[in-house]
Amino acid sequence: MAELLLRAENLEKVYGSGDTATHALKGVSFELAEGEFASIVGQSGSGKSTLLNMLGLLDTPTSGMIAYRGQDVSALAKPAQARLRNSLVGFVFQFHHLLPEFSVLENVLMPALIGGKPQVEAKQLAEETLALLGLEGLEDKGANQLSGGQKQRVAIARALMNRPALLLADEPTGNLDTTNTEQVYKLFRQVSAETGTAFLIVTHDRNVAQQTDRILEVLDGELVQDVRNDYAGAPAR
Amino acid sequence: MLPLRIALRFLKTSRVQSTLIIAGIAVGIAVQIFVGSLITSLQDSLVQQTIGSTSQVTITALDEGEPFVVDARVRNVAESDARVKPGAIAPTLSVNGLYSNGNESTPLALKGGDLKSLDAISSISKRITAGVARLGRGDILIGTDFAEKFTLSPGDSIRITFSGNKTRTLTIAGIFDLGSAAVNARQAFVNAEVPRSLLGWRTDEYAALEAQLLQPFDSAEVAATWRQQLPNLRVVEWQAQNADLLTALQSQGSSSYMIQAFVLIAVALGIASTLAISAVQKTRQIGILKAMGMGDAEAGRIFLWQAALLGVGGTLSGLALGFFLLWGFSFAGASFTITPKPTFIAFSAAVGIIVALLSSIIPIRKTSALDPIEVIQGG
Ligand SMILES: Nc1ncnc2c1ncn2[C@@H]1O[C@H](COP(=O)(O)OP(=O)(O)OP(=O)(O)O)[C@@H](O)[C@H]1O
Ligand SMILES: [Mg+2]
Repeated sequence: MAELLLRAENLEKVYGSGDTATHALKGVSFELAEGEFASIVGQSGSGKSTLLNMLGLLDTPTSGMIAYRGQDVSALAKPAQARLRNSLVGFVFQFHHLLPEFSVLENVLMPALIGGKPQVEAKQLAEETLALLGLEGLEDKGANQLSGGQKQRVAIARALMNRPALLLADEPTGNLDTTNTEQVYKLFRQVSAETGTAFLIVTHDRNVAQQTDRILEVLDGELVQDVRNDYAGAPAR
Repeated sequence: MLPLRIALRFLKTSRVQSTLIIAGIAVGIAVQIFVGSLITSLQDSLVQQTIGSTSQVTITALDEGEPFVVDARVRNVAESDARVKPGAIAPTLSVNGLYSNGNESTPLALKGGDLKSLDAISSISKRITAGVARLGRGDILIGTDFAEKFTLSPGDSIRITFSGNKTRTLTIAGIFDLGSAAVNARQAFVNAEVPRSLLGWRTDEYAALEAQLLQPFDSAEVAATWRQQLPNLRVVEWQAQNADLLTALQSQGSSSYMIQAFVLIAVALGIASTLAISAVQKTRQIGILKAMGMGDAEAGRIFLWQAALLGVGGTLSGLALGFFLLWGFSFAGASFTITPKPTFIAFSAAVGIIVALLSSIIPIRKTSALDPIEVIQGG
């Protein structure tokens, strides 16, 4: 068994207060190993995004604990959390969230520059990452001059730029057609194999979930199922 | 460095907005420089015209019009004061006369002294427009306006009547222009012997000891010092004689400060609103950058840099525009020239940049406080 990467303990999230309070998460606990390739499924409104945002330190849990590699990060100060977001995790969202003012290369470079990596080193890494996602030749294009599929691949390249230990993806193919969707998941698999990055992918698509090694199911803010999926990697139906 | 890079890119991608605000700052700073320099130069010119060629601190007898002895002690008080323009001390005698050409007459104030010391106060020699600067016993130097009114030229003899029906006939040696119509029409210079003989004073007796200062506005303090040292004499500073002018200068100065202050407030509001709009427009981008791990302070610095770049760009353009306006003014045919003071220019530039930086406070606060989750959830 690989080393433990992430431990979530009794995560709760309550939005608002009083009569209008929404109990989005009601005590979620699970562990994730380094390099694991897992998915989170569940109905709309079940709390998947809430969980993912908290794991990525974008949102703070109302109670509970998150630990990365044995270190409790939920109590860290904001600047320290920001640094961890930069170095430890990568995000891919349903919407690509690229910076329209910058070129493809600059968008991919951004996490490295925020992390303070030297320009030359960062540029080489960005080129490698773009190549990994089959985006060679698009470096100097504006982020707005790409197709939907290309944009999402650039967003993935950006998320992988700092070689995070964990890539969090929230419906990353929600805006893509079937062909592009398949391409993205093939890339995820490939990157996971090549870089050892762990993946946690939120999806409502059972077919997509079936291709991951582990499926976590959230229902009404609770983790109701956590199954190992031995069919993953089997030829697609 | 990253915030600067992002700031530059944000400014570049909203080119119209950036250009407009730089133009706004530029106009503000240019107006500030132009109005400020105009008023200061106008005031300098007024002061220069009024007191530049007259005595700024004058020592007389306690009863004005009576003679007093200008001895070594009195001279020393003026000469040893470092605030006095070196050499600009002149003992003078004055007498009022009347000139008439038959059908028209006009009063004429004759000031007597030796040319060298009169020059030290009024620079007459340099301001001779016709004839020569010479003050022999029979010579008189008259002003341009007086000469024009009575169509007189060097070499002409004029007869002047004094009280007690005494008269003197003097020859015009030269005609001066001291820069003020009143002086040019009423003032004349003669050899000290002319008033002395009319008044019947001894050779060491004078009506006044005139002095000019390095800094004209020091005159009240200088006069106060001298008053203590010379209790038996009267010491008068030019401010006391020109209270009206001082009031005018003061109100002119304060209205100029008002204009400048309001222009700067308008500029500040302009930059502040532009930056605030820019911060709102870039909310999504800031949220994304923060989601990727950019710190709050670093994100705020993007707008500090934007403000600094706009401020510096606008101020430099404003300096250029201001100097262009001043250059254009030099063709307007005004009676004085505008000489912008380097310290004032530096002050205006500093004000422009500081105002820009201050107006970034609100957008910086907004940016620092933005929670990336708002942007990510909003889609
Ligand atoms: N900012 C918020 N304020 C109040 N309630 C919220 C907020 N964000 C989410 N919720 C509520 O929390 C619950 C979980 O939302 P969440 O976005 O995690 O669902 P989800 O599983 O990602 O759904 P979907 O599949 O539609 O994206 C929902 O009931 C939602 O209405
Ligand atoms: Mg969701």
